[in-house]
Amino acid sequence: MGGNPLLRPLAHLRVDIETESQYHFSMAQPTIRIPLSQLARGQRATVECSALDSLPSEHRCLLAAMGMGEQCEVRVCRPGTPCIVQIDRTRLGLPQIIADQIMVTPIESTSP
Amino acid sequence: MIPRIALLGNPNTGKSTLFNRLCGLRSKTANFPGSTVEHQVGRCLTKSGQEMDLIDLPGIYSLMLEMPESRLCADCLDGRVGDGRPDAALLVLDANNLSRNLQFAASALRRGLPSVVAINMVDLAERRGLIIDEHAASQALGVPVVAVSARSGKGIDRLIAQLSQTSKSNATPSPDIAYPTSEPGSTASAMWAADVFARIAAHPNEKNDERMTIHDRLDAAFTHPLLGIIFFVLMMSLLFASIYWLAQFPMEAVDGIFGWLGSGVESIMPEGTLRDLTVNGIVGGLSATVVFLPQILLLFFLLALLEDSGYLARAAFAVDRTMRRFGLPGQAFMPLLSSHACALPGIMATRLIPNYRDRLATILVAPFMSCSARVPVYALLTGVLFAGRPLAAGFAFTGCYVLGGIVGLATAALLRKTILRGPSTPMMLELPDYRLPSIRNALTIAVDRGMLFLKNAGSVILSIAIVMWWLSAYPKSQPSPESVAIEMRAVEVAQTDPTTAENLRSQSQRLNERTQQSGSFAGQIGAICQPAFAPIGLDRQLTVAVLTSFLAREVFTTTVFVLAGAGSDADGEDQGTLATVRSATRDDGVPLFTMATSASLLIFFVLAMQCLPTLVVVARETGSWRWPLLQFCYMTIIAYTAAFFAYRLMS
Repeated sequence: MGGNPLLRPLAHLRVDIETESQYHFSMAQPTIRIPLSQLARGQRATVECSALDSLPSEHRCLLAAMGMGEQCEVRVCRPGTPCIVQIDRTRLGLPQIIADQIMVTPIESTSP
Repeated sequence: MIPRIALLGNPNTGKSTLFNRLCGLRSKTANFPGSTVEHQVGRCLTKSGQEMDLIDLPGIYSLMLEMPESRLCADCLDGRVGDGRPDAALLVLDANNLSRNLQFAASALRRGLPSVVAINMVDLAERRGLIIDEHAASQALGVPVVAVSARSGKGIDRLIAQLSQTSKSNATPSPDIAYPTSEPGSTASAMWAADVFARIAAHPNEKNDERMTIHDRLDAAFTHPLLGIIFFVLMMSLLFASIYWLAQFPMEAVDGIFGWLGSGVESIMPEGTLRDLTVNGIVGGLSATVVFLPQILLLFFLLALLEDSGYLARAAFAVDRTMRRFGLPGQAFMPLLSSHACALPGIMATRLIPNYRDRLATILVAPFMSCSARVPVYALLTGVLFAGRPLAAGFAFTGCYVLGGIVGLATAALLRKTILRGPSTPMMLELPDYRLPSIRNALTIAVDRGMLFLKNAGSVILSIAIVMWWLSAYPKSQPSPESVAIEMRAVEVAQTDPTTAENLRSQSQRLNERTQQSGSFAGQIGAICQPAFAPIGLDRQLTVAVLTSFLAREVFTTTVFVLAGAGSDADGEDQGTLATVRSATRDDGVPLFTMATSASLLIFFVLAMQCLPTLVVVARETGSWRWPLLQFCYMTIIAYTAAFFAYRLMS
């Protein structure tokens, strides 16, 4: 990690935007990844690629085998502990500590 | 050679219901040869009388997971446990959750074993508007597929015929099918399953399930931090109160049957040692345990209904929060619940807990959970404490379970803060759909457990009853001078006052019984050990009963009957087994079961490690005698101290 030490605290503000049009596009379609535990009751989301990477491998493999694989859609039936989510016809109960580590992309409601 | 068929599937696919439907009561618990892993084996019959053995394996999500039950299933399919590879596999899929279940089926079919796929719960799927095409499914999976409903019996005959045909023909899955090589849950596996699902399932009228919101609300209530616990306690209280209340009627009937049998034998056989052994040793000893069979049956029947309804999985989360505070993982819930049936399967079920410290803590506290062997003792003692008040007795009964649970949890907390420090593993659990439980399935489970209880009664308990009878019948004592004097007085007044003469004879007989008891081997053993138990209110007879119950707790009631009950029945009144035990008296004529003694004994039995087989299993599971010895000493000290204070308070 070289460079001017004075600039380091601002590194997180760097934005990869080269044109104005690209800036407007990225504002309109932001890709938000939040922990599963932050979704509200009834909210839907997609489990992103490598969303389970922060979990230990035995938990990751078990969740995938239970139906929570990459790109699957989840619906939150009960937030909190346990966090109850529905995937297809399967309901899974997860402790908060696990739900905190699963990154998902919320699906915007299409209803008016 | 009877073909062996392994039954495999995800959890909550109705696999055990299908097993019970196919085998009925023709099943037994067995171990894989050379191992301690238990499983159910059942015999299934075709219409032509051909027999097949079904091996019910645990429900798993993948054969490739680093979990004990996954390894067991993989080992069984590959012939690494048991008698080689099974002849065929029966894969059970849930019609309502096909996408995930198909991925599991693919991973099992890839092993090349002749297989049949049963798509279960098709009736529920049809109600949702989902139609499964069996023919298309067979083509897509490369093996025969039968759509069934294990609950209603739909498709079962066709499934049995197909199983018979596949096991005979040895037809392996079609080599033309390209099963995904990655494990269930991977993107490739999910895509393959989605493609197969699109080819085999049609949903012209699939309804959006309105119950989802109701399910959400029920889930929220049952897993709520406060409401969930209140509901759990209420549910368990209701369960045990109803067991207590409902069981009294069949218990009286069983008691009556044994009483009739004892009187019958007594009237047929000539007086002597053999009659005494049959009536007091065998019939009386067995009746004191078998009389509790209705309670055992009811307990398992109601627990099976609760599990089938989908509630128990929610209850696991309701208690998980509490258990975690005591350092136990959520996965400990099922082993601890199983320990309410018997600590042995409960301790063996702890193999599912991945963390060693979590597992060890669960093993060490499992015997605090009240097992079914304690039921006869609880029923007897709560009945004495709250005679004629079934509701209060029911609550006391529940209190025993609660006390065991609380002390168990406190012990777990102590262990996790001292010798077993370390973090717990979080619990992830599938919550099955709520549904009306199957009465038939619950009955099969209850009868199966009841048969195990009777088998135990017919072997261990019968042997102990005979040994106890011998110890209490020998050496023979001479009548005491006091008894001889009373007998002579009875002869004198026999002509003038027959009632007084009869009373005097009874008195003399009771005195003879007492002399015999105190002089017998059992009486001598009791007299030696009694001083150690005197502080908790036990006399010579109860000391012997507590000592013998170390072999099996339910033997306690049998021993009390054989030692004290037979003697107190000498007045000629036709009492039932329970009444006989309850009305038993000490050498000095004081009732054997006073309030203080009953309370003390009850607490002792809730907390003490009175079970030799459990200690052996703990030694086997932990690989050392250090843990069971620690467990025995700790539980005995806790039980003795608590019983001492209970006795002092009640006295």
